[in-house]
Amino acid sequence: MRAEILRVYKSVHTWTGIVSGMALFIAFYAGALTVFKEPLARWASPPAQQAAVPLAQAQDLIVRTLRAEPAAARDFTLHLHDAENLPGRLSWQVRDPGADDHDGRHLRHFVATLDAEGRVAAQPVAPTQLGDFIDVLHRVVGLPVDNDPNRWLMGVVSALYALALVSGVVVLLPSLVKDFFALRVGRNLKRLWLDAHNVVGIVSLPFHLVMALTAVVFAFHDGIYALQDRLLHEGRLAGAFQRPAASAGAAPRDPATMRAPAELLAAVRAIAPSFVPTALQYQQAAGPRAIVRVWGQDESAVAPRARGGFVAVDPYSARIVNHDSLPGHQSAANQLISSFFALHMASFAGDPVKWLYFVLGLAGAWLFYSGNLLWIESRRKRGAEPPRRTRWMAAGTIGVCLGSVCGISATIAAAKWLPGLVADVAAGHRALYYAVFFAAIGWAFWRGSARGSVQLLWAAVVLTAAIPASSLLGVLAPGLGPWPPASAAALGVDLTAAVGAALLAWMAVATGRRVRHGPAPSVWAAPAAGTLSGTGR
Amino acid sequence: MARAEPMRRDWLAKTLAGSLLGLTLGLGCSAVFSLLATGLPLAVRAQLAMWMVAPIWLGTLSGCFCFADGWRAWRTLGLANLAVFGAWALLRLVS
Repeated sequence: MRAEILRVYKSVHTWTGIVSGMALFIAFYAGALTVFKEPLARWASPPAQQAAVPLAQAQDLIVRTLRAEPAAARDFTLHLHDAENLPGRLSWQVRDPGADDHDGRHLRHFVATLDAEGRVAAQPVAPTQLGDFIDVLHRVVGLPVDNDPNRWLMGVVSALYALALVSGVVVLLPSLVKDFFALRVGRNLKRLWLDAHNVVGIVSLPFHLVMALTAVVFAFHDGIYALQDRLLHEGRLAGAFQRPAASAGAAPRDPATMRAPAELLAAVRAIAPSFVPTALQYQQAAGPRAIVRVWGQDESAVAPRARGGFVAVDPYSARIVNHDSLPGHQSAANQLISSFFALHMASFAGDPVKWLYFVLGLAGAWLFYSGNLLWIESRRKRGAEPPRRTRWMAAGTIGVCLGSVCGISATIAAAKWLPGLVADVAAGHRALYYAVFFAAIGWAFWRGSARGSVQLLWAAVVLTAAIPASSLLGVLAPGLGPWPPASAAALGVDLTAAVGAALLAWMAVATGRRVRHGPAPSVWAAPAAGTLSGTGR
Repeated sequence: MARAEPMRRDWLAKTLAGSLLGLTLGLGCSAVFSLLATGLPLAVRAQLAMWMVAPIWLGTLSGCFCFADGWRAWRTLGLANLAVFGAWALLRLVS
């Protein structure tokens, strides 16, 4: 019976892994980069054309903007820091009616500035969509749009992923003590890959369990809430999640009587000294229930969102209204809920955890890639030509995985060129990614997995190296279009990409050696002309 | 000792049992939790109740391949559902 259960779970692991592996590779590779969404956005944004309005004049800017642009009063943000990706001190967004909540493509962005005479000037802006595009790729398994059907597909993939995790652990358990940390480096390459697959899987198992469960929840939460609202909450859920509506007939208020931002920040500092505010989000500023969300980060606590946490302040009295989402000041139950988000989004304990998640995310991508390779290798018979389905699986794995790596690198590198070349930069990013992605898949099937893998790895090296090369061109030849990095965060993107290109080059060299000199016949072998097949060992 | 009867794969029956009855089991457990945790504000209780569905659902789905056959998976998980929803009905009566 026990051996029988192991065999059953081996089948579960194989098939869930094969079905979901390539989608998960894209989700994890793009997800690892999404950890550094903000540095990517800063890297991809040209340096500011004009100095931001000083914070001391912020109140003046708010009052004048609301007089000139009543549409901004619904929801606008005052940014406290200067960064390349924040085009102005005060910004707001207008959403096209009928667009999906999660779909950022239908937002129009505006900023307000003061001219020399103190007049307000509101202008549309097009902030970089690069970080959002990679984020969406990771949320919906490489599809372009974050909408309901795509999220459900991601939910199914995540459920398969959870099954693959549990079944993989069940299969490994009996030999865990013996095999764990046994990295048998030797002639048996398949054994080495299997050992590495097992070690990476077990070491990062908590990370993967968190990712699988939270990803399923992110995909299906609307549906589960709707069911529970009928079953358990008697339809009161919408009311519980929204702030109570204003009493009818309440008069609108004059934003000129609001307290200055510095006063609101002082009130927050009084209750949370270690909280570092980054932005003030004003909601319904001219209405009877005006509220300001003071967003920020606190590295000593768990943050409920990727961008940090917030405390709600009444802008007319500077009174703290609600600290349910303030890191370190949440109730135990709220903190538990926040930790589910924080554990997925690495929004706790600052940069070291972000780097840890970056590495774990890339290791996860490798886990799915190596899983597919093991499936292919376990179907290899010594001396026999690989059957067609094995060849297709190898070409598909190479094309999809290396295609997404190439596509993402290409679309990042293009961020400093596209503004000068196309009108719709966001569409340019999408078109370029999918062009490279599908070209790589086509190439892998045309050239075969052996030659294709080496060529696509070199393509990935070139495209990834194009990221720091663009910045370098910005330094050497400023007239061409690209701009040099203007902050440590942007420079970090260049350095990381340079290291990534070097690692990809190392993989390309190693893969090339396997293709020319490894055992044949195999989906990974393409011996040079003149070598007898079957003797290339 | 009698030889244990061989395990039947019954992929479809077991997968369906784990997917459907696992989901209802998760919803049932969240219903019991929701009745017991009335001390929490609705907005917080509802979020915790939503979050607990997925681990129970996927845990059940992952475990259901251990059953000797598909029929036993349906029977055991059905009984577990009955127990949880029965407890929920009882709690609703007394609360």
